[in-house]
Amino acid sequence: MQEYKRIDITKDEIIPTARRMRDAGVHLAMIHAYLETDGTAVVSYEYEIPNGIESYTVTGESVLPTISDIYDLGAEWPEREIMELMPITFEGVDTSQRLFMPDTMIDGQGQILVIPMDELIAKAHGEEVEK
Amino acid sequence: MGYIIPIGPYHPALEEPVHTRLYTEGEEIKKAEVFIGYNHRGIEKLCTQKNYIQTISLVERTCGICSHSHAMNYCMTVEGLMGVQVPKRGQYIRVIIAELERLHSHYLWLGIALHLIGHDSLFMTSWDHREMIMDMLEELTGSRVNYGACTIGGARRDLNDLQIQDLRDMLDKIEESNKRIMDIGLTDKTIAMRTQGVGILTTEDAIRIGVRGPHARASNLPVDVRKDAPYSSYEDFDFDVAVWPSCDVFSRVVIRILENISSISIIRQALDNLPDGKINLGNRIPKVKAGEYMHRYEAPRGQLTYKVVSDGSEYNKRVSIHVPTFKNAPSIPTMLVGNSIADAGLIIASIDPCFSCMDR
Repeated sequence: MQEYKRIDITKDEIIPTARRMRDAGVHLAMIHAYLETDGTAVVSYEYEIPNGIESYTVTGESVLPTISDIYDLGAEWPEREIMELMPITFEGVDTSQRLFMPDTMIDGQGQILVIPMDELIAKAHGEEVEK
Repeated sequence: MGYIIPIGPYHPALEEPVHTRLYTEGEEIKKAEVFIGYNHRGIEKLCTQKNYIQTISLVERTCGICSHSHAMNYCMTVEGLMGVQVPKRGQYIRVIIAELERLHSHYLWLGIALHLIGHDSLFMTSWDHREMIMDMLEELTGSRVNYGACTIGGARRDLNDLQIQDLRDMLDKIEESNKRIMDIGLTDKTIAMRTQGVGILTTEDAIRIGVRGPHARASNLPVDVRKDAPYSSYEDFDFDVAVWPSCDVFSRVVIRILENISSISIIRQALDNLPDGKINLGNRIPKVKAGEYMHRYEAPRGQLTYKVVSDGSEYNKRVSIHVPTFKNAPSIPTMLVGNSIADAGLIIASIDPCFSCMDR
């Protein structure tokens, strides 16, 4: 069975951890995020270890520094996806264009991008959507 | 004077919806951008409204090619959360279905690539093999696409002697014919001219972008979850991780053919050493304790990861699905730059993308 180890870190430890991992040749498997029922953001940086994953997790922060300058597109795509699907921001990521869905699509506000049909119809008719 | 050429989201050169913008000067691509998400179905959200057993059927429908990969990886993630061990026979049956799925996925991709290259006779040979494999999967599981072969705690269906013999016979046919595909693939001038030196992704770029699976191995990067973090008894099987150094579309063709050989070998080893005993832990609704677990899986197209968060109830609190294409698609712009517009379709297809899977 593959190992899985969660290590809680603070927002300030994200970049030093990413640098240490990159310098050690560790692959960033993924960045995951979800919202607790009270809206608390949980973001996990999943690094590959020989037989599993070490998950460095930040809880309660909705504005985080990007690590795309350290892990390039391997971090940028997950960060952009999270930003477009959840109210979580990665400072320093280019947001001039959307990655996920057309530029005209409204932003995801839930755990993932599922938009009620009435909101889509209102958007198509140019009406203001109540969030 | 340059032009911006949009390809997709719906385009004859694409099998699935994705939007690519090519910035060109003459025939040469100077810059490219990729935009995804046109097949988003909210599967992760739906998972939070299903119990652990119901979720297996749902995640299996994330992809129409690697459906077993999704079901098996989800089951292994929940099993990791529960801390249970699947009976050995169940593990071996899962591996047999997984490797059959890898074969059928690789033959599918080879067919598409050969059709785009213009080698339609080999395309038809390749898809003929795929048909044989899908018929075999139907014999083993009752279905050609969504096999329903996995449950939490093991496999859902056992193999009988007749099925095992039919599988051995099919492997003999496929192996013989795969040699012919390899001979032609490595020597044919049409294939060489359309693929060699086209869509290069250097080893350095592959590491920088973080690609995984056959796409990484075709860039001379020996990464394979079945070796690096073995699951479901893969440590019992003797096979090599195929790598190829040319880092171009040709390399991606060769890697798939080589991996077909190792998949055939793994299935034979699993059949030769199939353990006796139970195939699963019984038909109980699993009790999953609060916590989280992530599992890596070597799907046909690359690394598939599932992360499940549980609050101790019978429903998933969160299911995160990240498929190989999400890891490999960021490399498309790098591969396109410097090539001609005519090769764009082949280069995009060369990562063996599944955009439907990625958008989930």
